Amino acid sequence: MQRIRRDLIRRNTITLFFLIAIVVILFIDLFPFYWVFISSLQPNIEILTGKTRLFPLKMTLKNYADLLLETAGVTAFRHYILNSLRISLVVAVLSTGVAILGAYGLSHYQFFGKEFLGRMLLFVYVFPTILIIIPVYGIMSKFKLVDTHLSLILIHTTLAAPFCTWLLRSFFDSVPFELEEAAKIDGCNKFQAFIRIALPLSAPGILTAGIFAMITSWGEYIFVLIMINSGTKKTVPLALAAYMSHVDIQWGRLLAGSALNVLPILMIFLPLTRYFLKGFMEGALK
Amino acid sequence: MIKKKNSIKGYLFLSPILILITIFLIYPFIRVIHVSLFATRFGFGKMEFSGIQNYISLFKDEVFQTSVLNSMIWTVGCLILQLSIPLGIALLLNKKFRGGNIVRSIILIPWITPVVGVAMMTRWILEPQLGLANKILFGTGLISGPINFLGSMTNALPTLMVISSWQFIPFGTLLMLAALQTISPELYDAIKIDGANSWQIFRYLIFPLIGSMVGFVFFFGFVWNFNTFAIIWMTTQGGPVNSTMTLPALIYKRAFKTFNMGESAAMATVVGFFLIAVGFLFFKYVWKRAEQ
Repeated sequence: MQRIRRDLIRRNTITLFFLIAIVVILFIDLFPFYWVFISSLQPNIEILTGKTRLFPLKMTLKNYADLLLETAGVTAFRHYILNSLRISLVVAVLSTGVAILGAYGLSHYQFFGKEFLGRMLLFVYVFPTILIIIPVYGIMSKFKLVDTHLSLILIHTTLAAPFCTWLLRSFFDSVPFELEEAAKIDGCNKFQAFIRIALPLSAPGILTAGIFAMITSWGEYIFVLIMINSGTKKTVPLALAAYMSHVDIQWGRLLAGSALNVLPILMIFLPLTRYFLKGFMEGALK
Repeated sequence: MIKKKNSIKGYLFLSPILILITIFLIYPFIRVIHVSLFATRFGFGKMEFSGIQNYISLFKDEVFQTSVLNSMIWTVGCLILQLSIPLGIALLLNKKFRGGNIVRSIILIPWITPVVGVAMMTRWILEPQLGLANKILFGTGLISGPINFLGSMTNALPTLMVISSWQFIPFGTLLMLAALQTISPELYDAIKIDGANSWQIFRYLIFPLIGSMVGFVFFFGFVWNFNTFAIIWMTTQGGPVNSTMTLPALIYKRAFKTFNMGESAAMATVVGFFLIAVGFLFFKYVWKRAEQ
């Protein structure tokens, strides 16, 4: 009897410890986001006088309104959101397209240097971009692309597409070979069979690749910083960074801007985490 | 699986991505060496050959020496945090519990967050007058006056190391966790029947099987940390008095703030060769050994 009781207490203690640990981890992970978001909902004057509350009594959308409804030329935040959206959507489409082709090549053909190329694509994920800013600036100025969105689209696609390719390859590889063979017997050629069979079955992977590319572009800072000079062509990260370096920081608007920059993409990406990690698993364990 | 040896077509499908990588990543990587041999303010236009002059002045430069030291402290410090903590959390989370999948997805959030968002949160929470961190520390009586986390020479670098690690740790955790989950439950049972204690389970079962993942996270983390630029530039710009000036920050500053592209390119070349050497050693010694 006593022994069972002791065991029970012991097990409950372990469970309690486990739960506390998880709560602590989640708290450290998420609290900064809550704090920025809840601060952004409080009146600017209270934020600036240090009266920001963890659980505010009254909330307001005034900071968001100030930020989004302002129309005074280059400081209009709406404009930056549209710039960022346009660039990141084009990057998403281009990266996915390029990646589907590349991943098809990697998964359906044998050729010299294939494994090396695949690995190389994965490691572009941590490519030391800071080392190439000077020549990239030189190339862009040679093609008269400095201060254009096209320059950002090209470079962001180059940064995002390799990982998308690597990720999609693992999806295409896991489609049973026999399925595509069956489609070929029905009269499709190799590429048609791929489009009709493997592509739809890899839909989660394609979605993840597209969102990944979009987020990469949406948050990219270094190349926007060196390429874009005109106020009207800025993207959200550059605009926020500029707001931050003002002597007299408008915290209310800045907090609202950050919330708008971060929260929507987190919502889109969360359900896709599993597929995103799949890419790294193949890279590390294969 | 039967696959035809059809090499040309394989390359053909990969050509768009390879062209992009060649033009915008590989060519610039080589080109930067070329630029480093010239006395040039802008990296194009009027360039005057100067041999290794940029390298000589670089190694005499005290700010460069400071930034090398800072980069070393930064990379090693961050890696210690970013390998030990994820391994610990992964071991903790490696069991089935209700909501486990949701917890695992949520954990990744900091890693997905755009760096400007992280910089903003950092500045807002650590703000000397308005920030929550100081308010809490003051309220609990731990400090008597506000701490200037980012504005003091002694605090800035460690503070940013913690922030940067906060971002990387979720990623490392989930990779290690995913590796742990490839170990089948029967193996645990088997080793437990043999009378192994927790440490022995870790030493003889878990570590050999997730060793390659730890190596992978180490290499990814090394390259990522060594090149961290945005969070530093958006919070301290390398200051105060160069106390957070790492090599990436100095490369940017020399190229686009003080317009000394030649010297900046020399720095980028040095870092580039260093990273190639690290990569070479990693793949030759660590990766292969872990695979066996």
